Amino acid sequence: MLTARRRVMAAAAAVVSTTLLLASCGDSDSGSSDGKTLKLWHYESPDSAMAVAWNAAIKEFEKTHPGVKVKFEEKGFEQIQKTAPMVLNSNDAPDLMEYNKGNATAGHLSQQGLLTDLSTEVTKHGWDKKLSAGVRTTSQYDAKGVMGSGKWFGIPNYAEYTMVFYNKDLFKKYDIAEPKTFDELTAAMDTFVDKGVTPLANAGAEYVAQQYLYQLALSKADRAWVDSYELYKGEPDFHDAAWTYGAETFADWVKKGYISKKSTSTKAEDAGLSFMQGKSPILFSGSWWYGRFAAENKFDWGTFLWPDSNMTLGSGGNLWVVPKGAKNKELAYDFIDITMSKKIQNMLGNKGGVPVAADPAAITDPRAKGLIANFNTLSERDGLAFYPDWPAPGFYDVLVSETQKLITGSAKPDAYLDAVKAAYDKGVQDR
Amino acid sequence: MTVTVEQGGRGSGGRGDKGRKGGGSGGVVEARHHSRSPRRPRDSYALFLLPGALAFFVIVVVPFLMNTGVSFTEWQGVGSPKWTGLANYRELMDDAEFWASFRHSLFMVVAMAVVPTALGLVLAAALFDYVGKHFGGRTAAVLRACFYLPQVLPIAVAGIVWSWILAPENGSLNELLKAVGLGGLQQDWLGDPDLALYSVMGVMVWVQLGFPLVIFMAGLQRVDPQLYEAAELDGAGWWRRFWHVTLPQIRPEIYVVLLWCTIAALKVFGAVYVLTKGGPGGATDVPSYFSFTTFFEKTQVGYGAAISTVLTVIVLVLAVVGLKLQTRAEDAEQGVVR
Repeated sequence: MLTARRRVMAAAAAVVSTTLLLASCGDSDSGSSDGKTLKLWHYESPDSAMAVAWNAAIKEFEKTHPGVKVKFEEKGFEQIQKTAPMVLNSNDAPDLMEYNKGNATAGHLSQQGLLTDLSTEVTKHGWDKKLSAGVRTTSQYDAKGVMGSGKWFGIPNYAEYTMVFYNKDLFKKYDIAEPKTFDELTAAMDTFVDKGVTPLANAGAEYVAQQYLYQLALSKADRAWVDSYELYKGEPDFHDAAWTYGAETFADWVKKGYISKKSTSTKAEDAGLSFMQGKSPILFSGSWWYGRFAAENKFDWGTFLWPDSNMTLGSGGNLWVVPKGAKNKELAYDFIDITMSKKIQNMLGNKGGVPVAADPAAITDPRAKGLIANFNTLSERDGLAFYPDWPAPGFYDVLVSETQKLITGSAKPDAYLDAVKAAYDKGVQDR
Repeated sequence: MTVTVEQGGRGSGGRGDKGRKGGGSGGVVEARHHSRSPRRPRDSYALFLLPGALAFFVIVVVPFLMNTGVSFTEWQGVGSPKWTGLANYRELMDDAEFWASFRHSLFMVVAMAVVPTALGLVLAAALFDYVGKHFGGRTAAVLRACFYLPQVLPIAVAGIVWSWILAPENGSLNELLKAVGLGGLQQDWLGDPDLALYSVMGVMVWVQLGFPLVIFMAGLQRVDPQLYEAAELDGAGWWRRFWHVTLPQIRPEIYVVLLWCTIAALKVFGAVYVLTKGGPGGATDVPSYFSFTTFFEKTQVGYGAAISTVLTVIVLVLAVVGLKLQTRAEDAEQGVVR
């Protein structure tokens, strides 16, 4: 009897455990389809201009859509970057999501049929009229997932570009004027090196280093060069004058001490902190730092565009995309429309973001005015040259790794360009 | 009969039974065969294994088979996979990056298995045999806990702390070297391709050391003290006692630790991800990280699956060979013939 009871107990335990196990393997959330919930994901840090503006947009949305709740989930950039294809292919897809722009990301997803074609909504709401040509490049993708033409798969409501951030107090301390030309910039860096200061904040383990090199190449490039590299309109020559100048000058700058040889393993955050702590007088990076510097820098600082260069890294900002499997697409379109409104755009501009449809008169912060003015200058001369890692999936890691070798001196510029070409060719062929 | 059956049940690990079968204790075996005793607990215990077996099947076996299937395709993770047969494996054979990552794995085996086992042995013996006796068991226990602490820390936390310690500018290690007048030894520990792998290895020794130490100290508890006393009476010093008593007595623990740590070393991912992301210039790349970037960054899912399949097979083969060797050695010690 005892054994029989034990068997029954054991069987019951097994059934319960198995049921629990199977339950745990099941769908956690099959998504909302009630027309009363907008499931929204984005990965902007809470204190960034974008997050501040979008929080205001959420409030506005809930005000204008009584009875509809916004279910916001904060994600990490890496988290969305790495898992987006799988999430969007599942029932857990949100209704609206912020996603990285470019061929290797949004283009790739659009090609796989995971994103909703927004073309009709774009015309209906007039979003296309609010976006300049350079900004809208990253919104449209052709059947092969190449940006610049085709259907609309995303809407950016801010833009971004790179600039030289400089510490005015340190420049004053060493009696150096704000550089207006490239020669003045290098002369300023020579002075800093003479004084024992490494002028450029760098991050070899992340995007900063490759962006220095790409900017150097861009200073010798034109739109056709960028289109050839980024949009596959022609075959890029990695040993042409621009690429060779970029790689050789970068290696030379390491030798000259403009860039620390010890920056191989540093991350973007380290470079930002180095600038914010007044250790490095110059950081060349993107407008995404602007709000943080405005809030935290304890010294006088300013910005200027890379001198003697028509082109710089930049594009429309990350995109609002509507997953193919979104349950409440109409709500998602309404939310995008609110983020494109003057009210939200002006707020974004005043918080240190680069709005795409703000009223210039409504931007009151003097630094923000300068930031937007520089962007307008770039836009007018068609100077947004995107980012070097966009052409192929996984190319970012290749550029990090190869640029690290250039910093340590374990690869010469020629070898660097060979390696980048090989990875580019393979990546573009596989995409 | 009841007693006989109970003993048979307890000893049903397999090895004892087989030994007895050969030894001719037919009465016992007979009783077990002929009596489907309602009190035999093995049948009911088997039911308890069902959820675990099912979980293993769902979480390990099925994904592994799916992964293996994907490895025969060219696929970007979404859309339709294209069957390419062994193309990914052929590409893998010629992939210098993969083989470089595998060479780094061997370094990690040294850092995570060989060195911690050797150091752990000496430290365990020292704590047990010297510290415990001279400073008390509590001191030995505190020291053991200190060595074990890195095992408790999440690798992400430990990695971030170590990246601060090893930072080239203002890192604690470089600052310490400067403070004691050894500024000339300052290095870019994680950024110099000639040093980065050794730096990661150093961190992994620190992470891993506590595990063998604790296992060996537990093993030492079961060594008969009379063996040490006898050796001491015979005039054996500490080193000879360690060599001739400690080592042979805790050989099973050494096997387990070496096998466990070798598998952990081949699979290592977290530390590389947090400390170096495989850099600089691929100097610290390991197969699991290589597979991860291929899978998620390059979205070459088929190729990434081939890498992880090869890695799994290698780990499995090593585990099986290791377990066989361990069993054979144990059998040899106990005089069991198979």
